[in-house]
This record gives sequence, structure tokens and C-alpha cells, in this order.
Amino acid sequence: MDITYIQTLMPTLWAGTLQTIKLFVLTLLFSLPLGLPFAIGSISRVWPIKILSKTYVWIFRGTPLMLQLFFIYFGLPAFGIKLDRETAAIVTFVLNYAAYFAEIYRAGIQSIDKGQHEAAKTLGFTPWQTMRIIIIPQTIKRIIPPISNEAITLVKDTALVTAIGVAELLKAAKDAVNRDVNITAYFLAAVIYLALTFLLTMLSQKLEQRYSRHEKQEV
Amino acid sequence: MPVLQIEHVKKKYGDFTALNDVSLTIEKGEAVAIIGSSGSGKSTLLRCVNNLEKISSGTIKINNETLVQTVENKAVYPPDKEIRRICMKTAMVFQHFNLFPHLTCLENITVAPTHILGKEKTVAQMQAKELLEMVGLTHKADSYPAQLSGGQQQRIAIARALAIEPEIMLFDEPTSALDPEITSEVINVIQRLAQQHMTMLIVTHDMRFAKDSASRVIYMDEGKIVEENVPEKLFANPESLRLQEFLKSIR
Repeated sequence: MDITYIQTLMPTLWAGTLQTIKLFVLTLLFSLPLGLPFAIGSISRVWPIKILSKTYVWIFRGTPLMLQLFFIYFGLPAFGIKLDRETAAIVTFVLNYAAYFAEIYRAGIQSIDKGQHEAAKTLGFTPWQTMRIIIIPQTIKRIIPPISNEAITLVKDTALVTAIGVAELLKAAKDAVNRDVNITAYFLAAVIYLALTFLLTMLSQKLEQRYSRHEKQEV
Repeated sequence: MPVLQIEHVKKKYGDFTALNDVSLTIEKGEAVAIIGSSGSGKSTLLRCVNNLEKISSGTIKINNETLVQTVENKAVYPPDKEIRRICMKTAMVFQHFNLFPHLTCLENITVAPTHILGKEKTVAQMQAKELLEMVGLTHKADSYPAQLSGGQQQRIAIARALAIEPEIMLFDEPTSALDPEITSEVINVIQRLAQQHMTMLIVTHDMRFAKDSASRVIYMDEGKIVEENVPEKLFANPESLRLQEFLKSIR
């Protein structure tokens, strides 16, 4: 591998990396909050809301992300909705990841001891106040590990959008490899993906420590 | 003036009758202990009083307001908002404390006054500090529940319950989850409340606690009140055969 060749590759790979990071950040930004109503919906006692939420989660977790991507980019224009490549990619990822996050939130909410709900109720909290002030803050610590797990998967899933021609990291690498008949670009892309997932792992550990303050025993 | 009136309360779980025609009136300033074996319905009765369970039929009045009454053989409750308002006159202390682990001790005490009663934060904190002093845990204000012993957690739970300024305190086996040598620190706090004429309904397995703290003791068995009396008489001269056997069995 020679350094000058790597230097000529870096600008396109860097542009691809930025596109990957953009996709990653926008997906999390919208799917993390969007998961919550579906989580609360799927434990709701109002059955139409419950069925709607569960069906949503079932569809988006039960079909391949690639298929959803094709459907939204190639299929929706048939219904008069035409999205450009990047928007289609972001919309698909947000809808898909919201379903996974909904399940993580739901499990987190249901893992909180019944005594917490009862204590809040006897102090006069409404079910919604109980959720907001007592239950959800306690679930944050428990859902950080599964959420970072999903976030790491997301970094790698962004490579799927190559299939609809979004110029992210993998596409930049692939184009270089095809052009130069040299696999160096794949190697560099792997290093960049690893660096991104490494950063995420560190971040999630920091967050976990931060949110388990209250579990520390007396020192 | 009665703080709590329970009339002909029945509670069924499917075919099982947990409470069978229970009537009980508690006057202001009374400390009433309920004893009985597991499954006698004593905890269920307590849980019905503050709406953790719904009754099947009967009447419950708290502070002269009707929490539930029976119309055409069916228990009828007011809307949720009204239930919450009426039940706010009660406060409960649980066997397993159920403190909020993500909040400090001080925040555990102020969370309901600020969010539910709409008190100013500073006012709530001042009152919480008085309560912490009362239970002897001023130095634990900024600790989290996990950093406290069981006895300390239960004292915080009592302070948290008192913070909503209830007319009646409900204790559901407050010492059962504690090591025997530290039950006294919780019992002392409850006895101090009794001396201040706090109205209390205490479900307990601890007969000495019932004897020393209560002004009246109720013995329940199979969902019914079998016998009630002042503690000196109830423990010394139990009238019913069932209570005699119960007292023998736990000795």
C-alpha cells in the first residue's frame, strides 16, 4: 500500500464518511423520539392503539431493511410520493429504527417494578405523571446498552443505501475499487467503520456510568 | 369524627373471596393494628382503602367523602380524578419501601408535594427537611435510596408518605422486610406518630409492635374481622377459638 495512493483516495472517502455520519445522526435524531409513542402505544389498554403500535413494530422488524428501502424509493412514486435518494434513505431508516427502539423502550418500561407504580399512585400521581416522572427516568440506564447496540448496527446498516445510489462511505470505496482495480479503499473503509463504532462504544460506556450514579453504594 | 369508614366491603378474585363483609370505622387519632395469618385479607383491605385494588361491593368513605359505594349490588367509583383527590387523604408505607431509586432522599419526599400538590420547590424542601429531622435522617438528604440500610429506607418512605399531609397513614407490614435488630428504628418513628395522634391503620406480623403501638387491634381470618379489642385485652384474653389458636401458633 502506498501513501500517495491513500492520499488521493481520502477526499472521496471522507466525503462518503460525512454522508454516512449524516445519515446516522439524522436517523437517531428522529427515530429515538419516534419509538416512544409506539412503545407506550403497545402497552396501552386502548386496544386500537395497541394493535396499531404492535402492527407497526411487527412490519418494520419483520421485513428486510433493504426491502423497505426499495419500497420507499422505488415503490412510493407509484402512489404519487416521490422522494430523492437521500430523503428516501433517511425516512426508511427512521421508520425502521423507531420500531426497534419502541421494543427496547417497551421492555425497559415493563422491567420497572410494580411497586414503583403503586407508590406513585398512592402519592396521587396520574398514570401519565407516573410514566414521565417516575418510570421513564428509571428506564434510561437500562436501555442504554441495547440502544448503543442498535446504534452500532445502524452505522453498518447505512452501507445498505449504496443500493439506491446514495454516495456514502461504502459506495465511495466501491467506486474507487472498481475504478483502480485495487482493494485499498475497502480496507480504509473498514478502518473508518471500526473507528466510528469504537467511538460509539466509548460514548455508551460514559452514558452508562453517568446514569448509574444513583446505584453506587456508600463510599 | 371518623376518618375512615368501611362498610360491608366484599372483594372477590374470581371465585375466591378475599374480603367478606368487612366493616370498620377509624376515628381521628386512632392507631389501629390489623393482625392475622397470611391470606387473611388484611393487606387486601389496606390496598382497597387507597384504591390499589377495587372492591366488589360495599362502601368506603375517607374523611367523610365517598370513595366507593354500592348501587344495585355493584361497586360504583367516581371518575379517576375524583378518586385521586379523595385518596390523597391517605398515604401508604409499603413492606418493600418502594422508594424511587433515581431520586435522592430529599427528592423522594418533595416529588409529590411539588408535582401533585403544586407547592413551591423551596417550601417543599423546607418541609422535607423537617420530616427528615423527624425520622432522624437529616444527614441522608442527598443520598440515593441504594446507599441506605433497609431501616433507613423505610424511615424515608414514612417521611415521603407524611409529605402529602394525609389524614390517615396506612402501613402495609412496615417491618416485615427488615432484619429483626433494626425494626425498632422504624417502630420508634411510628410510635412517635401515634403519640402525635396521627391516625394510622397498620397491618403487621409483629405482635409486640401491635401491642405497644396500637390503641385497638383487629384480628382477621379468611377475609373477615373475627375479633377486635384494645391490645391489652385482645392479647391477654382472646375470645374466639381462632384467635387463641393464631396467638398460640406464632408464639
